[in-house]
This record gives sequence, structure tokens and C-alpha cells, in this order.
Amino acid sequence: MHISEGILSAPVLITGAGLTATAVGYSLKKMEHKEVPKVAILSSVFFVASLIHVPLGPSSVHLILNGVIGLLLGWPAFPAILVALALQGVIFQFGGITTLGVNTFNMALPAIICFYLFNRGIKGANNFIALILAFVCGFLAVLLSGIMVAAALVFTGEPFIQIAKLVLIAHLPVMILEGVLTVFCIGFLRKVKPEILNI
Amino acid sequence: MKNKLYLVLIFIFLIIMVINIPVFAHKVNIFAYVEGDRIYTESYFNDGKKCIDSKIEVFDNQGNKLLEGLTDEEGVFSFEVPPEDVIEGDLKIVLTASMGHRAEYTISTGELGDTISVGSAKEEFEEPVSVISPEISSLDLKEIQSLIEDTLDKKLELIMREIKKSQEDKISLTEIIGGIGYIFGIFGIIAYFLSRKR
Repeated sequence: MHISEGILSAPVLITGAGLTATAVGYSLKKMEHKEVPKVAILSSVFFVASLIHVPLGPSSVHLILNGVIGLLLGWPAFPAILVALALQGVIFQFGGITTLGVNTFNMALPAIICFYLFNRGIKGANNFIALILAFVCGFLAVLLSGIMVAAALVFTGEPFIQIAKLVLIAHLPVMILEGVLTVFCIGFLRKVKPEILNI
Repeated sequence: MKNKLYLVLIFIFLIIMVINIPVFAHKVNIFAYVEGDRIYTESYFNDGKKCIDSKIEVFDNQGNKLLEGLTDEEGVFSFEVPPEDVIEGDLKIVLTASMGHRAEYTISTGELGDTISVGSAKEEFEEPVSVISPEISSLDLKEIQSLIEDTLDKKLELIMREIKKSQEDKISLTEIIGGIGYIFGIFGIIAYFLSRKR
């Protein structure tokens, strides 16, 4: 999911950086004081999750967990993912500094979309429905990220359908895995610490 | 208090999961070396998997594309060293793997120069040697030359592999913990500014 440096053209990079800067600015302004520790912890989770990789055919993919992060954070997912990606770029050379804006946007926007789609549902009284929704949330977040990566790569001249297929097929196991992980995470939090979900 | 303990446990568990995985995905590496009159490139993801059918492009330092090709099943792509008059400065080899992965490797003129100077040294040496020991014909010299090269290749292969290994990035626990530390630090600063606003 991390797009390396030197692949995207300048307009794509600038657009990504601009959109990310706006979203980060907005969410920092909106962020509550008491939310900060939660954002920091989930940012570290994102930072570590990308190091867990799933071997797969000729390529390999890793966990992203943007679904869970979006569900638990909402808008502050933007600064959380930005900080984690920046450090991954500097320390592990995943992605890159110039592509930071695009990469953050690709992973954080689906997180926020999932927040708005599923935030209500996973708080519902019915445990079973909540868990099904959690699975869909984890699955969908990765799916959307994959589509956005493919869309960003289109501007490099490769045909969209081909990249989209490649990215999506490669990430199908991750989508399922993330769905299952989101179910466990939400199930666990519903039982043990419902106040994190604001129930 | 009990709930906080759970969170800490999950966190520790995540970190332990990471440590148990020795290699990591999501970066591609390319390594190139000159052997004889060819340049060999090897491409692999940083979990050691080879990049198959990935595009390799070779540029000179003016940014002109000299040639391009695809890696084979072993992630190897080789090409002849371009003639001297074509090369201006270093050669830049760029690997573009699927899904937005990219890496590059630069072969310096020094490395290329070695093969060229070996070629010219051979010619210089031939005559004086044949004067000292006339029974050694130039054919023998060529055989000896190729024998030496073969042996050197074999011996150097190990060293090349070592160099390649050392270039592979292993992520250490220190880096992970350090990164998490940075994250907390950054959000500490954010918390500071948020609290001043109030």
C-alpha cells in the first residue's frame, strides 16, 4: 500500500499533500484534549501493524488496520496515520517523504468513511450484527485503500483496471484478515472496555 | 485499572508478534554487479522473495534511458555493459515492481572502469610475458585468463552474497521501540499545544 518515491507525478503528489494537510489541520482543530492519548496509542498500533506481513504469491502484503483505527478515532485518524507513516518512511524506508501526503490520504480517507458508515452500527445492542458490521468495516477499509492506490497509480500511465485488479487480488487475503481482526477487536472492546467505543 | 492492563497486554502481544517475524515486506531492493562484460541485477522484496517479471530500466547520469527489460523467475536481469562512448558517468538501474514499489541502484564508473581496464591490461601484458617465456602462447594466456576469472567469480560470489545480505534491511527491535517512542513524543507535543489553547 505504500507507494514508493519517484513513481507518482508532481500533480498527484501535490494534490495528495494538499488534501492531507487540510484534513490533518481540520482534525487537529477538532481534536479533544482527552482524546490525544488514544490517538497516540492507535498511531503506534498502525506503525507496528505494517510490519506484520502476509506472504502471498510473488508479492507480499501487510496488515493496515485502517478500519479499526477509523472506527475508534474518527477524524483524528488523519494525524495518527500521518505520524505513523512519516516514521515508517524515515526509519524503515517504507513509502517515502514526498509520497507521504498521498499515502496518508489513501489510508486515512477509507478510515474516516468507515467511521461514518459503521460507527453507529457497531455500538448497537445486537452483538451479532455489530460483529458482522465490524467485519465489513475492516474489509471495506482495505478495499477502498486498494482502489485509491490504483487510482493514484493511473496517472503514471498504467491502465487502471489492470492495476486495480492486481492491487485488489493481492490484498484480498488482507481484507479478510483485517475483517476478522476487526471483529475480534470490536468484540473484545464491547465486552471489556465499551467506553472506548463511546457506548 | 484492570482494563488498562488489558490494553498494555494487547500492545505487548503486538510487539512480540512483530519480533517473531525475521523479515519484513513492503520494500523492494535491487542489487547489481559487474561480471565480465555483463551487468547482473538481482531484485527482491525485503522479505527475500524475488521480483518476477518486474521492469528494469537503465539510465545514464544524464537521465537518458539506455535499455529496459524484465526480470526472470529468479529476479535476475542481465545486460551487456554499454560501450564506453555511450556511458556518461554512473549507470542508474531502476526497478519498478508491482503496486507502486520502486528501487534504484547506481553502478559507478569505477566499477565499470575495472572491467575496461582489465581488458586493456590483458593486451599490455601479453607481449612482455611472451618475450620472457616464449613457450607460453597467447592462447594459453587467454585460457589462464579465463580460468582466473572463473575462479575469481566463484570466490567472489560468496562475498557478493554477503554484501547483498548486509544491504537487506532487517528491522530491529530498537527501531520499532524508538518509532513508538517518537509517536508518543509527537502526540505529547500535540497534547501540550491543545492544553495551552484552553
